[in-house]
Amino acid sequence: IVSSQLFPAACFRNIHCTAACLKNRAARIRVGKGDKSVTYEQAYHPHHIGHRKGWLSQHTSNLQGEDGAAERVVEDVFIRRFMYGTFHGCLADEVVIKRRGNLLVICAVMIQKLLPSKFYFLIGYTEELLSHFYKCPVKIEMQTVEEKVVYKYL
Amino acid sequence: MASSCSLRHNVCKSSRILRIHLQKSWPNRSFALNSAADQQPAVSSPEEIVIPRKKTWSKEAVLQALASTVKRDPTASDSRFQDDPYLTPKTSSEFKLFSLSQESGRNAAKYFINTYPKYFQKDYAQPHIPCLMPETLEAQIEEASEAALIERIRMRRVKAAVDLYDQLLQAGTSVSLNVTNQLLDLICFCGDHDLARENVPEQRNEETVGWSHHKTMFKIGCLFLFFPLRENNNAERIFALLSEPNTHSYSALIRGMVKYGAYSKAFSTYTDMLNNRLKADVHTFNALITAAPEVKEKYNEKWELIVDLLKQMAEQKVKPNLLTLNAVLKALRHCGTLGKSQAFPVISEMKALSIDPSLASYNHLLAIFYKTGAPIQGQTDILQEVMNEVSGKSFTAQDPDDGICISLQRLLCIYPIQNNGLKVYIFFMSSSTDIKQLGHANRQNLVEELLTLMAREKHNQEVQESFAECALDIKKIYDTGDRGKVLLSWTAGSLSDLISVLLAAHRRQDAWEMLKLFKTHNRVPSEELLNKFLTCVKEAGEVNQAVELVQISAGFCLPETPKLIQRVQQEFELTEGPKNADELKATSKKPGLPYHLSSATN
Repeated sequence: IVSSQLFPAACFRNIHCTAACLKNRAARIRVGKGDKSVTYEQAYHPHHIGHRKGWLSQHTSNLQGEDGAAERVVEDVFIRRFMYGTFHGCLADEVVIKRRGNLLVICAVMIQKLLPSKFYFLIGYTEELLSHFYKCPVKIEMQTVEEKVVYKYL
Repeated sequence: MASSCSLRHNVCKSSRILRIHLQKSWPNRSFALNSAADQQPAVSSPEEIVIPRKKTWSKEAVLQALASTVKRDPTASDSRFQDDPYLTPKTSSEFKLFSLSQESGRNAAKYFINTYPKYFQKDYAQPHIPCLMPETLEAQIEEASEAALIERIRMRRVKAAVDLYDQLLQAGTSVSLNVTNQLLDLICFCGDHDLARENVPEQRNEETVGWSHHKTMFKIGCLFLFFPLRENNNAERIFALLSEPNTHSYSALIRGMVKYGAYSKAFSTYTDMLNNRLKADVHTFNALITAAPEVKEKYNEKWELIVDLLKQMAEQKVKPNLLTLNAVLKALRHCGTLGKSQAFPVISEMKALSIDPSLASYNHLLAIFYKTGAPIQGQTDILQEVMNEVSGKSFTAQDPDDGICISLQRLLCIYPIQNNGLKVYIFFMSSSTDIKQLGHANRQNLVEELLTLMAREKHNQEVQESFAECALDIKKIYDTGDRGKVLLSWTAGSLSDLISVLLAAHRRQDAWEMLKLFKTHNRVPSEELLNKFLTCVKEAGEVNQAVELVQISAGFCLPETPKLIQRVQQEFELTEGPKNADELKATSKKPGLPYHLSSATN
């Protein structure tokens, strides 16, 4: 943070330095040659949330008078990375995270890449580890598809 | 222009229709002329108008109403599994496999949590949830003191306890005899190694049949031959360091030696003990009696040693207990014919001392008399006597060897050889414990064997009746299961046996319902069962049931369906004539049957 003094009368101007995070480039897959397959979630842009898309993370901390929104975001990021790494190559779409009271429900759509017993191993592992990590019951609701569901080609 | 014309036409048409409709209804309605004042008031009934009480709803009313809209889905798989066709188990082996893999995933997670507890310490939960914290296996008290030693003994950490003990002795602090005895107990029980925690997948569910129990794991631990050497080093060493060992210390040492196979050492320790003019307690004697058959070769020498020990017990005025009796009986198993002659006197003497035999004693008794494979001549009496003793009593587990399953299985082994035992056996089953209480891994095998044996031979009427009652009880066990847990799964064999038993007792209706279970549980009935059923149905003369039977058989696409059809056609008079004959023909023409067979029936 750089502060510069323009006038001696205690007037400060701060400059915020980060990498450029363009709001009009986030979560958008640009139209290309037509060979890139995208899912429904990827095809619609963030301004369609609430209109054509649902929310990927559902909790009550954004309501009036509720706190903890930032912590929920951090937890969500961790959970998504965890799922992406644990079920590597199996995720067909983004993970949906729902919070009901104390319970954390992770809803994932998987490609039938592994044997069911292997899926169950990973499910048991994830549930137990995340429960102990976040000190709340964690449940996984999983659905499988044969291949990634393509919505269109961009 | 044309459109506006047509529009006008349409408007005229619709207004005409409207007028017609209104004119139709006009005579019935005369609203223009009446005013409210002219209208008669509503006819008041002579009764009072009762204003109902204000309804108050409980706080959970809404939730209850919502809950009443949701019912349990009987077609869903167990709640443990994911609700997805790819991930739903379809066979019982898949069921087991999936639940086991989920368990092992949990255990893998637990391993990580307990190995790296520092990442799981942050406590978000208000109030605190202790089961979601990593297990603290670290001892709290760090400094070398007796209290720390006691704590490690309590946490069963053998190595740490031994190290701390050595540390204490080197530092010069004396450790009290009591605590040293506790340490000796711990070493002799655990065999000088920490009870393995990490590698054993715990059996949490009753359905994970076939996975190793704690018990078997422990047995494997006991069989490790290199352990006794290490164990004795530590235990003996600590024992030697004791300035004044007392009865308890000797007892712990001897029991540990016997447990881990150092039998002769146990006896020499016992001699030491006698030399020090200490009295042994009942546990020491039990251990020594267990060890006696291992140190001598010949039957009579073994027996003499046991008798000697018992005499010494009497001299030292140590009262024997149930475990003594069971130890003696167990030792007699290794004594051959001598065992048979001595078993009953032993039991009578023990009874004189008011020690009642337990299930384990009967188990050992049966083992003495009925060696598997040996020809049984005239031994029926013993079995009957045992049965008479056992019936009408309820047993509590007093001995680690107790276990209904073991004794039942033994009985089932004896069973095929003799028939009279059968009646007594059923008496046993009906008068003593409930099969439901068998929470044992072998329950499925046991029940299936029981069914096979019941179905095997034909007996007189009352026996068949009791068989049928037993069979219905067994059926209930297969069916009941809280929260959809699969306790026992039907096999084709067990279902057939059950139906044969019911048919033999002429319970045709029950048997008919059981037949339907074949379909629901995806099992195929055998030819012989269907033939038996048909004979039974014929005795009752029910033609419709016979036709239904044939249809069921065709539904399973069984190759013997045409033969059944022939039988029905010959043996039954198809009085309802065309209907049944047609049904039969239709069944025979079903696409499932190979065409040459269906043509044969025509």
